[in-house]
Amino acid sequence: MGAYLLKRLLLFLPTLVIISWVAFGLSLLAPGDPVIGLCADQGILVEGAYERCAREYGYDLPPFYFSLSPAAFPDTLHRIQPQYRRHMLGNLVALTGNWPEISRYDQQLESLLRRAAAMPDSLNRQQKIDINQTLRELRTTFKPGQVDFRLARLDSMAQFSLYQSYLSQESGALLQQWELVKTQATPILLIRPDWKWYGTDNRYHRWMSGLVTGDFGISFKDKRPVGSKLRPAIFWTLALNLSAFALALLLAIPIGVYSALRKGGRMDRFFTVTLFGLYSLPRFWVATILVIFFTSGTYAAWMDWFPSIGLGEIASDASGWERFWVRTSHLLLPILCQTYGLLAFFARQMRGAMLEVIRQDYIRTARAKGLKEEVVVWRHAFRNALFPIITVLASLFPASIAGSVVLEVIFAIPGMGLLTYDAIFAADWPVVFSVLILGALLTMIGIWVSDFLYGIADPRVRLGRGEKNGA
Amino acid sequence: MARAKKTSGFWRSQVMERFRSKRSAVWSLRLLYVFFAIALLGDFLANEKPLYCVIEGKTYFPVLHQYGVDLGLTEWSPELVRARWRELDYESVVFPPIPYSATTRDIKNTHFANPFRGQRVASPRFWHWLGTDQLGRDVAAGLIAGTRIALLVGLGAMALATLIGLFLGTLAGYWGDHGLKTSWIRLVLQVVGLYFGLFFGFISRAYSIGEANAAGGVPAALFTGLIWLVGMLVLANGLGFLIERVFRLRKQVRIPVDLLVMRSVEVMESIPGLLLILALAALIRKPSIWYVMLIIGLVGWTSIAQFVRAEMLKVRRQTYIEAAQALGLRASRIMFRHALPNALSPVLILIAFGVARAILSEATLSFLGIGLGPEEVTWGKLLSEARSNFNAWWLAVFPGVAIFFMVLLFNLLGEGLSDALDPKRDESGPNS
Repeated sequence: MGAYLLKRLLLFLPTLVIISWVAFGLSLLAPGDPVIGLCADQGILVEGAYERCAREYGYDLPPFYFSLSPAAFPDTLHRIQPQYRRHMLGNLVALTGNWPEISRYDQQLESLLRRAAAMPDSLNRQQKIDINQTLRELRTTFKPGQVDFRLARLDSMAQFSLYQSYLSQESGALLQQWELVKTQATPILLIRPDWKWYGTDNRYHRWMSGLVTGDFGISFKDKRPVGSKLRPAIFWTLALNLSAFALALLLAIPIGVYSALRKGGRMDRFFTVTLFGLYSLPRFWVATILVIFFTSGTYAAWMDWFPSIGLGEIASDASGWERFWVRTSHLLLPILCQTYGLLAFFARQMRGAMLEVIRQDYIRTARAKGLKEEVVVWRHAFRNALFPIITVLASLFPASIAGSVVLEVIFAIPGMGLLTYDAIFAADWPVVFSVLILGALLTMIGIWVSDFLYGIADPRVRLGRGEKNGA
Repeated sequence: MARAKKTSGFWRSQVMERFRSKRSAVWSLRLLYVFFAIALLGDFLANEKPLYCVIEGKTYFPVLHQYGVDLGLTEWSPELVRARWRELDYESVVFPPIPYSATTRDIKNTHFANPFRGQRVASPRFWHWLGTDQLGRDVAAGLIAGTRIALLVGLGAMALATLIGLFLGTLAGYWGDHGLKTSWIRLVLQVVGLYFGLFFGFISRAYSIGEANAAGGVPAALFTGLIWLVGMLVLANGLGFLIERVFRLRKQVRIPVDLLVMRSVEVMESIPGLLLILALAALIRKPSIWYVMLIIGLVGWTSIAQFVRAEMLKVRRQTYIEAAQALGLRASRIMFRHALPNALSPVLILIAFGVARAILSEATLSFLGIGLGPEEVTWGKLLSEARSNFNAWWLAVFPGVAIFFMVLLFNLLGEGLSDALDPKRDESGPNS
């Protein structure tokens, strides 16, 4: 048993690593510039501020231990800052494959940008603004037609403006360089795979070492460590889900056993139909209805039964009992919504399992021995009917956590669901992907605990062996 | 031929009969037909354009005409391009039962018009029977448009999930960890093929896929990548086959298919599904219902794979499979022609329940306002509007009822199917 549990625990490691890849890969794909997200309030436009911020949070590091990309891409692309410049250069390389020429084009554009910014305002302010504007546009443009167009505009502005003496040569050179980029394409480099090794000083490694030591990164939204935001969120999500689980089991066991014992009876039919209906009843609908009709006096004053959404206000000098009461009264409706769906599922499972067990020979034997009906039902039948329930418990836990997202949003419970929801709309990716990892971790713990319970409930179970035979 | 006939005979006589004898299942199927009809004929049931009208002596069939325009067959005559259909002078006109489209804004009835009172309409014909939302859009028309999206997403996502689940589950169950052997040269070539397929299909096209995301064409871009990948694998396989034959290579290695598939199932099941769906949907720059379908389908295949695997483990020990193997049939033929059909019918149960779940996921996503195009009207979106105005009970009640019914019907269908396919399940009680 112990060895089996240990083995399961070890098997979780590769799963967890793969999930971390998924989450990290998604975070790479996430739109927006993380550096701006992190340092926007510290004056990102100041010379060098962006680069400093990127370095501080490791965004100038390669993303992973290695990379596989077409040979056309330079192995230092990740060092180019800021993101839009890197993005434009990457796109240019993907189009033409000639990095040396593109790099030269990039440098000329950079020096031109610096030159144009340093031009005196006194000659013609509007012209200077226009020139700088076009140059900044060129910084993000990579579609050949659009680059042609902007370069032509820049050139005509450089030739016929008062700033001619500052720019005309450079803009001509830039135009020539662009022609080189276009004409000397090396598409062969784009289809040649190329491995690049970066070693352990990379973003994934940093992120993972952070995770292992409990450091989930910094939230873009309020610059707080993600871990400190997650802790209370996990508490509320677990409070909601665990109480719903306990409540549902407490109700489901008697209902399921009773229905199974009186199969086909009036109560059984009533429970079957009701539970089936409940099972199909969308939780977010019930929650919305409850919030609209029963948390305010919109329709009738007497219908204002429950406190409004959120966790409620607690006075600083409130006693422990008062605190508990305020929180509980606010959690009542969400727990109710979470419970009824679970209840429907558990009770159906319980009934099915009892029906399966109760026709076994040993039950008949027990009855024939003259044991009391309670003993037969609870000692002999119920214990054996519990196994299927235990297995679904584990599989239901992740679904239940995910399912509570929408309840947390509706009832404004500051759990993991609401945190994720807000983070998605604020493009606060560190929070989103931390929650993803944490959700997976909680799920695996759930599976592990159910393995453990399974072993306790049925000492015959020798898990881990005979699995090859399947079924 | 004889076999096929026998199968259908079994179906007809046993399963169908048991299914028909269960009233709830039969009725759920009938009502689902109604939902399907609403989804298909939605344009004729709720539309701001008339079904038939005569203007200045000319006869039009505007709803039908719109189909022609959408297909590029005809065009609107210039005076009708921007017509306000409700305000035209008709000599004779027939409007659809609900004379509004889901996106029509009735500017006289904005800010949540109550279904029972206070609507400003020209005649009772234009009454909003289920009220309107903030922008003056008719709720009944929205429900009809939502039917189409719910069914499309539910069935489409489940079709994708079923395909993936069947394929992987069959492979895992039939081969197990020891069944699939291949020469090492083929294995090496497959790995090389995988490498190049991934490279040409996705990595070297990474930037163009990124561009496709900005333009709203990710599925097509990903599909091209997939074609590259499959093409490379087929090429590698063919090459391996040739080399095998030419050099008479006998030495073989085992491929633990079951292990690989079950590990990926475990990974998928360990991530809370809705959270993954939320995170994925948030990456899409130009959201639309097709992405929602794709994402729900890609996340939802595990239960089917596990089930088919378990069924295949049972089936592969049957004597007819041994017979087929003894006859020297190809493995793929045994798997997909002989074994899979016998494991298939119970999968129908999972599919029915799965569609219900997919519809719920879609409704949840659009309720949360994630993964929806701005012009798409769905049940979840309508329901979520009730949260901004507690007075608009009709926005809370009607879409919710629609979701509930659709989910209930698919669940009842699944229940009926499972009773019909596994009669022992319910007749095994102590008192019967």
